[in-house]
Amino acid sequence: MTDHVELRVPSDPAYVGLTRLLVSAGARQAGMAGAKVEDLKIAVSEAATNAMRAHRQHESKEPVTILFRAHAARFEVVVADAGPGFDPQPPTAFRDWRAESGLGVTLMRHLADDISFSRKNGMQVTLLFDLSRPSGNGVVE
Amino acid sequence: MELSLDHRTESNFTVLEVGGEVDVYTAPKLREKLVELVSDGHYRIMVDMTKVEFLDSTGLGVLVGGLKRVRSHDGTLGLVCNQERILKIFRITGLTKVFPIYDSLDEALQDLA
Repeated sequence: MTDHVELRVPSDPAYVGLTRLLVSAGARQAGMAGAKVEDLKIAVSEAATNAMRAHRQHESKEPVTILFRAHAARFEVVVADAGPGFDPQPPTAFRDWRAESGLGVTLMRHLADDISFSRKNGMQVTLLFDLSRPSGNGVVE
Repeated sequence: MELSLDHRTESNFTVLEVGGEVDVYTAPKLREKLVELVSDGHYRIMVDMTKVEFLDSTGLGVLVGGLKRVRSHDGTLGLVCNQERILKIFRITGLTKVFPIYDSLDEALQDLA
């Protein structure tokens, strides 16, 4: 028996809101606290947006796959696309505020308790949330 | 939830009230509105985000674009935001140092009068 939920979402920005809604319902059911669910919603939105952008840039008609599960007091979300992948920028202390893009990876790194990127027939982003760890206040040290 | 956008003039500011969710799907409407306001000569803009339910990096990018537009006319773009979950993403991205952010519209308008 499978231990996860898998969604295949049309690669259309109109579905990012529905994706957030479904994954956050799963997280609440797993016992995630309210403020942490808000963090998860943003991180999932960023990952799904990047995946859909990759599909659009490479004219892929494939759906984006989102898988989630709760295990060992953690909630895991995997967002996979069929694009060629990208090299995630390492965290940097300085960033030009005038840049209008590139903030998504920064937000995912801060809002998830752990994040990893891998290439498997496309890009795969894994976001991990520790259910017992409280949500932070966003202050960057 | 969809995005709602309403603007009005208050003191010597254009107040743009944003409500609902700002993400990759709805952000183009916000961008369009800001472009339209600046094209119409509104260079002092206060974006009231009190009724925003959700905002991600796409929305942040649009606000940064709006700020650059008004600054190119020596204008200003401030934000009214009192929701911790939204303030947090401005802190993470360092944008609290870029935008003037106020707890309430009254506070914003007094400060900038």
